[in-house]
This record gives sequence, C-alpha cells and structure tokens, in this order.
Amino acid sequence: MQYLVQLLISGLAIGAIYGLIAMGFAVIYKSTGLVNFAQGEMTMITAYIAWTISTTVSGNVFVVAVGAILAAIVLGLIIERLVMRPMLGEPVFATVMVTIGLAVILRSAINFIWDAYPHGLELGMGRGIVHLGSIGVRTGQLAVIATLLLLLAAIWAFFRYSKVGVAMRAVAADDRTALLMGISATKVHALAWAASSVIAGIGGVFFALSYDLSPAMFQLGLKAFPATILGGLDAVLGSGLGGLLIGITENLAGGYLGSGMKEVAGFAMIIVVLMVRPFGIFGERDIERV
Amino acid sequence: MRTGDYKQSYGELVALIDSPPVWLWSAVLLLALIAAPYLLNSYALSFLMIILITVTGALGLNILTGYTGLISLGHVGFLVTGAYAYAVLVSKYHMPPLVGFLGAGVVPALASLIVGAPSLRLKGLYLAITTLAFSFIINTVILEMRWLTNGARGIQVQRPEIFGVSFDSDAAFTYLCLAIAVLTLLATLNIRRSRIGRAFVAIRDNDTAARVMGINLHAYKLFAFVTSAFITGIAGALYGIYLSFVSVEGFPFLLSIEALAILIVGGLGSALGAVLGTILIVLLPEATRIVFSLFSAQMDATFTTGAQELKSMLYGLVIILFLRFQPRGLVGAWHDIRRAWVHWPLRY
Repeated sequence: MQYLVQLLISGLAIGAIYGLIAMGFAVIYKSTGLVNFAQGEMTMITAYIAWTISTTVSGNVFVVAVGAILAAIVLGLIIERLVMRPMLGEPVFATVMVTIGLAVILRSAINFIWDAYPHGLELGMGRGIVHLGSIGVRTGQLAVIATLLLLLAAIWAFFRYSKVGVAMRAVAADDRTALLMGISATKVHALAWAASSVIAGIGGVFFALSYDLSPAMFQLGLKAFPATILGGLDAVLGSGLGGLLIGITENLAGGYLGSGMKEVAGFAMIIVVLMVRPFGIFGERDIERV
Repeated sequence: MRTGDYKQSYGELVALIDSPPVWLWSAVLLLALIAAPYLLNSYALSFLMIILITVTGALGLNILTGYTGLISLGHVGFLVTGAYAYAVLVSKYHMPPLVGFLGAGVVPALASLIVGAPSLRLKGLYLAITTLAFSFIINTVILEMRWLTNGARGIQVQRPEIFGVSFDSDAAFTYLCLAIAVLTLLATLNIRRSRIGRAFVAIRDNDTAARVMGINLHAYKLFAFVTSAFITGIAGALYGIYLSFVSVEGFPFLLSIEALAILIVGGLGSALGAVLGTILIVLLPEATRIVFSLFSAQMDATFTTGAQELKSMLYGLVIILFLRFQPRGLVGAWHDIRRAWVHWPLRY
C-alpha cells in the first residue's frame, strides 16, 4: 500500500512536469493551430539558462526564477519572429515540419553551448523531504504540483474571460477572419510563443530541481506529447490533467511491470485512447467541409 | 521550336517516360552507376551505397507521406523492424538471404497494419504522433524480446550470398543495393500511374472528396501503409547488412527526421524528388566538411569533434530553408529551370 502511494505521488510530481510542458504545446496549438515539436528543446534551453544563472550570477531562488522566466520569454519571441512568422499563411504541414527542423537545430545547439555532462540545479531547496504521515515527499515535488494547479486555473480564466484570450482562440479557429475583425495575428502568435515558452520552461526548471540536467532532457518533450494528445491538442486544461494521468500511468507501469514498460506506457496509452476518441479526451471534434 | 508537351492519348499521359532524351539519359545514368564500383575509391563507394539504400527507404516513405499525405514520424520503426527481421532470420535461424529479405518486407508490413488501423480514424498531427509512439514502442519491444533479438547486444549480420553469388565485396554489395533501388523506383513509379496511385493522391488532396468519389479510404490507406512499410523494411535490412551489425542504437530517431527532410528537400510526392533529396541530404555533411576544411584546419577540427551535432543542425537548417524558400523542393526548382530553358527568351 505504501509502495502504491509512493508511486502515485512521484507519478503526480513527474506528471505535473509533463503537464506543464503539455500546456505549452496546447497554448501554441490553441492560438496558432500547430504543434510545436521544438517544445522539449525550448524547455531544456530554459532549464540550462536557469542553471547557468545559478552557477554564475547568484544562487538566489528569486534571481534564478526571474532570470529563467525572462530568458524563456525572449527565447519564445526570437523563435516566433525569426522562424515562425515568415511561415504565416503556409500549410500546416510545412509549418509543423519547420518546428521539427527547429527542434533538431536547438538540440545540437545545446550540445555545443553546454557540455554533455549531467548537472544538478542547486538552489538550496526542492530536495528537502516533507513527511506526510509515513510517506516522504520532496518539497520540489509538492511545489511543482501546486504550480501546475495554479497555472491551470490562471490559464483557464485567461482563455475564458480575457479579451486577449478570446482573440487567441479566434486566431486559431480562423486566422483570416480574425484578421478581418481587427485582431493582430502576429501579436497573438508572439504572445502565444512567449507564454508557451514560459509555461514549459517552468516545467523544465522544476525538472532540473528534482532530477538532473542532461542532454537527454529533450525527451521530456516527447514524453509530454502523450499528455497533450490525451487531453486533446486544443484543450489547455485537458493537457495539464493529461500530464498527471500519464505521469501516474508511467510510474505504476514502471513500478509493477518493469522499467521497459515505463518508457512506453504513455505512448501505448495514447494509441488506445485515440482509437476510441480520435480528438483526445477533452478535445473538440472538428467539423469538416469539402 | 518545341512549344509544349502535347498529349493526345491516355497512354501518353501515363507513360513511364515521355520523351526519347529521357530514355537516353536514364540509360546513361544506369550505365554510369554500373561502372561506378570500378571507378570510385572505397570511400566514395560507401557514399554510393548509402545513397542507394537511403533512396529505397525514402521511396518507401514517399508512398505514405508523399502520395497519400499520411505524415509518419516513426518510419525508423519500420526500418529497424526490417533490419531485425533479416538479422534474426538469416543470422540466427540460418535461412537463405532471399527469405531474409522477404521477411524484412513482410514483418514491417504486418506491423504497419497495427499502426495503420488507428490511422483510419486519425488525421494529420494526431496520426504523426501515433506513428512517433509506434517507433518508441517498437524499440522497447525489441529490447525486451531478448530470446529473439539479443536485446541491447544486437545481432551480427554477414553480407549475403544469393544463388551462389557472393555479395561480400563492396562492389558486389553496391550492385545488390542498385538492383533493389532501381526495382523500388520502378515499382513506385508504376504504383503512381496506376489506379491505386491516383486513389492515393486523391486521398492526399481531399479525403472526404475522395471518399465521395468511391475510393475505399480504409483499404487504400492500409495499402499505402503496408506498401510503404514493406519497402522501408527492405531498406532497413540493406542498412543492417551495410552496418554489419543490427542494434537499436544503429537506428536513432534522427533517421525519421532525415527521411522527412529528404522528401521535403526533394519535393513531396515525387519519386524523382526522393532521389534528388537523398543525394543532397546524404552528401550535405560531407560537402560542408570539405568547405570547412578549405577555410582552416581549426574549423575542420571543430567539425570532427562535433560532427554529429553539426550534421543534425544542417538537416534542421536545410528543412527550414527549403520550406521557406522552395516549398516544392529540388523537383520544383528543376521544373522551373527546365521551363525557362525550353521557353527562353519568353517567360512561358
């Protein structure tokens, strides 16, 4: 029983990280209509920048947090301006392939800029252990779950009530009509990329706090795919919850079936889910016209 | 002056080769390729082998992604399945290599039915991600089935001997790759100009409209998956033989990206494009290395230490630049040049 609870909690913690990255996917999909295959790499860059700040400038939590968030915003804006904006109006296939190309470039750039050894992000916190009854939980794990829930609520409210959020949904639904209505699609896209980069970056920094930075970290992006798909690409809330679900499934499969199963549990799960609901659990079905 | 291509009968429209000069140049190219193993040194020959093997694989993906418009991010899954099928049949159970090649086609084809089945309900990006999931699952399956695949240790593969002819030398193996690549090219071109090929293209352009016109979506999508996986599997077997060692690490996820890059660079949905794209993508890292070494020895050193990173960076850059500036790929560029050549000094 205790083993099960332990697995569930660590599943929730890693799931919250997947959830944050999956929300990054969903924010971009919801406002630009494309899947950003470079999300994992962007997450990784933000985490590495946070690590660089903590080792060179200051190990203070607030300095690192603010620096990482600013870096993530700049990264998102640069990518949007240099790579994605010229592709505005091109077919979705072409644009998505551009993000794949971008992912490959960013991944090798990281290996060039930083070395290939694992690093721990030491901020003097996050690795302490809190006891809930008889079960020990890391503070970093609790913090990431709380952050995910907070961001979920904030983003839900943003897309539901704020004018900008509605504009973003309008651009995703039909960018031409949105332009005619006086919405600046470029501004919306820039905002979406910055926001997505920050949300996913937070996930990356939490990952670095609880585990380690390594060149294999881009796989977080691949792990977060199932979460986004599970929730539905256009459902930001669903993606966050999908992340938790994938995290738990993965950990249970790893704990009871073996480590090989842990790697693929999420992927196996989405294949099954997509067979039943091709648009994800919370996704909306598109209506098609010839 | 030649003013245009006038097609007067249906047969002319679907002809494999529509003008005598193209026959001539194709024959010249084939002769050059046959002579190549005797003229090239072993370093250049290894590139020729890689190009021929990659062409086979790219043509396989072209049927699925280029013709039918189903994006696959997991084609390396079929490649690795084919390689393992060959390795297990030939190295482990000592079957004749021809049976091995048949298995290398059939096993991925069967696997593709499993991936293809959900694809009947999925579209676009959701399908791309399902295929991605497949390629990760297949790797784990291979690693877990130790009794059959030796797990992470991999399987040693010898160069084959078919009907008493040994393909042990590089030249002979190049001929084997050449034969398979040419056969695949002919097969793809023939599929494209048949009823099946037209159905594929109709599905790509608009699946709802294709369905209304009486095309059985399920049958044709599955057929595209099976054909594509069959061809890719055989390319995988060839690649395994080329590496002389089959392991999961030998088939990294980057190969899926590389295959898509080839199609984009060459021009989606064109067999010629797949060939041109392969040549460019395979030779690109080498060409860059030569350019780098011209500048300075230090840059050459950077290239050798970070070869893998630079290589993948180049793929990414090439994908982005082509999509941005020449979305129709090398084939599109070739068509433009040809038209300008024929019609000069008129625009059209």
